[in-house]
Amino acid sequence: MTVVDDTTGVTPGTVRPLSVAVIGTGAIGQDLVSKAHRSDVLECALVVGRNPRSAGLRYAAGLGCPTSADGIDAILAAPEAFDVVFDATNAMAHAEHWRLLEPLGTLLIDMTPSKIGQMVVPTVTGPQVPTVRNVNLVSCGGQASVPIAHALADAFDVTYIEVVSTVASTIAGRATRLNLDEYVATTQDALTAFSGVRDTKAVLNISPAVPPAPFRTAVHAVVPGADAEAVRGVVDAAAERVRAVQPGYEAVACAVNGDRVTVSLEVMAASEVLPPYAGNLDIINSAAVMVAEQHAARLSAVAWTGAGR
Amino acid sequence: MTSVTIHDPTLRDGQHAVRHQLGAAALRGYAEAADAARVPVVEVGHGNGLGASSLQVGRAAVSDDEMLSTVREALTTSRMGVFMLPGWGTSADLRKAVAHGADVLRIGVHCTETSLAERHLEFLRAEGAEAHCVLMMSHMATPAELAEHAANAVAYGAQAVGIMDSAGHFLPADVTERIGAIAGAVDVPVIFHGHNNLGMAVANSVAAATAGATIIDGCARGFGAGAGNAQLEVLVPVLERTGFPTGIDLYALLDAAEFAERELMPAPPVTGSLSIVSGLAGVFSGFKHQVLDRAERAGVDPRDVFFELGRRQAIAGQEDLIVDVVADLSTRKDGKAA
Repeated sequence: MTVVDDTTGVTPGTVRPLSVAVIGTGAIGQDLVSKAHRSDVLECALVVGRNPRSAGLRYAAGLGCPTSADGIDAILAAPEAFDVVFDATNAMAHAEHWRLLEPLGTLLIDMTPSKIGQMVVPTVTGPQVPTVRNVNLVSCGGQASVPIAHALADAFDVTYIEVVSTVASTIAGRATRLNLDEYVATTQDALTAFSGVRDTKAVLNISPAVPPAPFRTAVHAVVPGADAEAVRGVVDAAAERVRAVQPGYEAVACAVNGDRVTVSLEVMAASEVLPPYAGNLDIINSAAVMVAEQHAARLSAVAWTGAGR
Repeated sequence: MTSVTIHDPTLRDGQHAVRHQLGAAALRGYAEAADAARVPVVEVGHGNGLGASSLQVGRAAVSDDEMLSTVREALTTSRMGVFMLPGWGTSADLRKAVAHGADVLRIGVHCTETSLAERHLEFLRAEGAEAHCVLMMSHMATPAELAEHAANAVAYGAQAVGIMDSAGHFLPADVTERIGAIAGAVDVPVIFHGHNNLGMAVANSVAAATAGATIIDGCARGFGAGAGNAQLEVLVPVLERTGFPTGIDLYALLDAAEFAERELMPAPPVTGSLSIVSGLAGVFSGFKHQVLDRAERAGVDPRDVFFELGRRQAIAGQEDLIVDVVADLSTRKDGKAA
């Protein structure tokens, strides 16, 4: 797997806007709506939830997006299938949503840790074309840690990787709370898939601190013969590449003690709807929007050359 | 007289004091001794519970499987307890523990995060196991919040619920207020788990029993994170004299404590400088070893590290913050916390 510098590959004005629908009106759903609304190549065509009075639906309507409280049924009832559907519900519901949407040819971008679709971390894989119609964004901890895990494993002989993330209680919604087991399993699998290191571990802390704690991810690695300066160089370069698309991403500490490497990452959100400490949601949503924009660029290129899908 | 059920996490919380290095022979020997003393529940595991062996907290010398099978074989009348933090362990770990014969399974969540335990409590009830829920770092929440979250835990299926004074921060009046609030909000047994950072673990446990707690945790010689827990062989006779029968055989309990001091620990826990500051700062005392190691290497005062961790409201499980705090303090000219 190679790391690329330009991870968007999209030039505004050359791309036909894609119709986008969002399922779920929690903090992830609202921020996705805000990001899609800002995108030149995405058009927010429908936002669905289950509570007609939810803040998320009100927010979407305020931006001029069509909304419905009929959930997945409203997506299925649309006269024309959406190009992209973001699923910001939970891992259990996602399995059913995929079953219903698969026949429609929509690209389903899964924000839950269901592990059903192809796992993507666009800051590592670049503008790769997903080969399937169900793309999984792993987890917030996965999006934050995989770039570092990948870079370390690429440069050194790494025998073990462990990732511990801490998110603030106030932005851990019900789906996150119900999906802790899935979060752990999916994040561990992604670490192995993207770094090639077989022995991995993922942990999630939910912090009740007031004021809320900023999103943090610690990457621990066992690197026999680790050289502190070389490790720092690899970590800084990897963090810099992520920062090109996620400005609030920072490696705040990097310690080497014998063969143990510890990298502390902090991600501050830059979003219209999220508080600064919610970097966990910002990084996974930015990645999801990046995947959708790459899909838009690809569809335009296909239309231009007349090549089949 | 109301009787109290003693829950003994010597072989779990004590792991924090020895970097999770208890071996199978030590586990077996102590479990047999506690069983002989008729200690009702003997808890075993990595310090942070099932599935928590890690670089973040420390790697265990013995796997979860081996710990559970060793202790199970050693117990005849005592029941076997385990502990699990959602996000560290998963339902797969709980399933494994039930298969190993764990009788009492505790789900730990930070004070106001009971909903993290919803699925795991439901899972345990469906398995037919005894499910407890404990609210950790409980000094970070008000009595009313703790009562509300305790009631939520019972609604999810917890058959006992209570608090851990993870930082050893409480004084007896704090405990009285919190246990009273919880006991008034639930109709299941209430749990108290004390730490001795300010020398209050036994006094706090007596306050808890007096306020309505009927499951009290204690460890042999206080063997536990930081300054340790309520010292079991002191706690039991003190509870008995206060008027709370425990059903435990005193001489056998004293023997178990002798065994623990000889075979489990280099020395019994003392309320040293770092334990005192971690109690005052409200920081989980299991951070002690890592704070000492990193502060010493960087030449900063470990007491400042604890107070800074307290200012940042570090929770148990956030050991990675120690690295940042030490780095920050070592770059400041005077080395003092702001």
